[in-house]
Amino acid sequence: MTTTTVADRFSIRRTASLTRWNTVLLSRNRLAFVYAVVLPLLPLALLFTGERGSASVGAGAIATMFLTIALFPVYYNVLAQFVSRRDELVLKRMRTGETRDAELLASIALPGAVSAVVLSAVAIPISAALGQPLPVNPLLYAAVAVLAVVMFTALAYWTAAWTKNAEAAQLTSMPIIILASIGPLASSIPDMSDRLRDILSLTPGAAMADLVRIGWFGFDGPAAKQATLSFAETWGQAAQPLLVMAAWTAVAIVIGRRSMRWEPRS
Amino acid sequence: MRVRGLRRTYGHGPSAYEAVRGVDLDVPTGSITALLGTNGAGKTSTLEVLEGLAPATDGEVSVLGLDPIADRDAIRRRTGVLLQRSGFSGDLTVRETLRLWSATLTNPRPVDEMLELLSLRERADVRMLALSGGETRRVDLASTLMASPELVILDEPTTGLDPESRRAVWRLVSDLRDGGATVLITTHYLEEAETLADRLEIMHAGRIVRSGTPTEIAEGHPSTISFANAPDVPGDLAGVGRVLHEYGRTTLETDALQSSLSGLLAWASLNQVELDELDARSPSLESVFLSIADGRDAAATPTDTIAPLIPSLPEGILR
Repeated sequence: MTTTTVADRFSIRRTASLTRWNTVLLSRNRLAFVYAVVLPLLPLALLFTGERGSASVGAGAIATMFLTIALFPVYYNVLAQFVSRRDELVLKRMRTGETRDAELLASIALPGAVSAVVLSAVAIPISAALGQPLPVNPLLYAAVAVLAVVMFTALAYWTAAWTKNAEAAQLTSMPIIILASIGPLASSIPDMSDRLRDILSLTPGAAMADLVRIGWFGFDGPAAKQATLSFAETWGQAAQPLLVMAAWTAVAIVIGRRSMRWEPRS
Repeated sequence: MRVRGLRRTYGHGPSAYEAVRGVDLDVPTGSITALLGTNGAGKTSTLEVLEGLAPATDGEVSVLGLDPIADRDAIRRRTGVLLQRSGFSGDLTVRETLRLWSATLTNPRPVDEMLELLSLRERADVRMLALSGGETRRVDLASTLMASPELVILDEPTTGLDPESRRAVWRLVSDLRDGGATVLITTHYLEEAETLADRLEIMHAGRIVRSGTPTEIAEGHPSTISFANAPDVPGDLAGVGRVLHEYGRTTLETDALQSSLSGLLAWASLNQVELDELDARSPSLESVFLSIADGRDAAATPTDTIAPLIPSLPEGILR
């Protein structure tokens, strides 16, 4: 009797090679390259315009940068790459060979994921140079970066189920972009009711922004402007937004798997 | 490859469409089998099940003794598949495309060897989007054959190729068989099927309606005598069955080609009739194929292919 191991089902060598070629393709598409590398750094310009050293300004800039990273190098990039490869029948062709489905999915997601993680790390010395504090809980901050990549990659594959091609992605991506943006944007409204704020905190973007404010700046609530949480206290404060992100990730993976299509609708 | 009672249905409920309706198929090891059929006959739907790209709705399918879905990974290491439409990223060059493909294989042949084999060396550094349809098809073939597969499935491999390239592909496919590989090929070119295939399977309306060698398939079908003008030929020529007048030509179908031809020439000579562009042919694959395609071969046209189109007709009318 033969047994199938994970190594049989997923080849790191093949995934790395496919990722390399997907990166080459990304670098040859100027718009995708700007989305993946340049655009996410723009929110850091807020650190120049706001009060130097203000943690409140820093939290706004970093949370916005995180949202941009999640939406462009990860979410939109993965969605556009996947649907255009599917539309060109590249995915169908690859599936006739030895490449496994999981390797194809990972290799499309990895260039954006690497870009997102690197940009999240690069933001720390840039912010420090502009007078911002170092993260209170670097572990939580790193976990948020990884979880954001996983969540928005899953949301991208879910969105791909109802997206015909790369052009259509400009429209079909809107619900997730709005869902991700509405929480962080609405949090700046001062007179919002607590009930509405609680509801918005369940959106993926709000949970991600809350985790950035907790993990990096040690803020204990949406109205906080000063660090009050210690390293240990940040874990307790982070439990709810971490659960929200995990729930969105799980939902996207389950529905995305069920609705996954590898070739254009005939 | 062994298939029994294969069915494949698209969609559900009242709008469901059954593209494959109970196909039985055997592809002997070390042979070339051609799957022929009109557009929409169900060839590609059948191949996609054999390739493990789609599940069968019903029936048994065995490829290299394995299940194409459950044992997909094991089968793909030993199989080369060419889809009906190529799928490559336009922004990679030919060489990059083959290097990418090579990196996904366990035991690939060198990229340069494949470039040479498919006459692509001079186009190696050209981006895929700048290639002609025929060149893209050759890159596709290079990918298909790179793993030295023991089973090769080719869906219309020569579509879009010029006559010279087509013959080069024929040589390549013959060499595969001579090297011990098993080949299943679909094609619209009947000459290609007759030249290459050891065995033919003709599909129509989701079923295989004729199987055998080219000679066996043509057996029992009439020979034809045709000419360009339409003189009033006598109806009692030996062996002549139907007389057709199509596209400015008169065609006589006969079961006794030599006798009918002798009788026709004797009549023409006696009556001083010039038979322009006279042509006499033994039964051909083309005539069999056309008789199936246009519905003249009643045995190959199941009544239930008509029924869904005119559901309100009383059942007896279709008999």
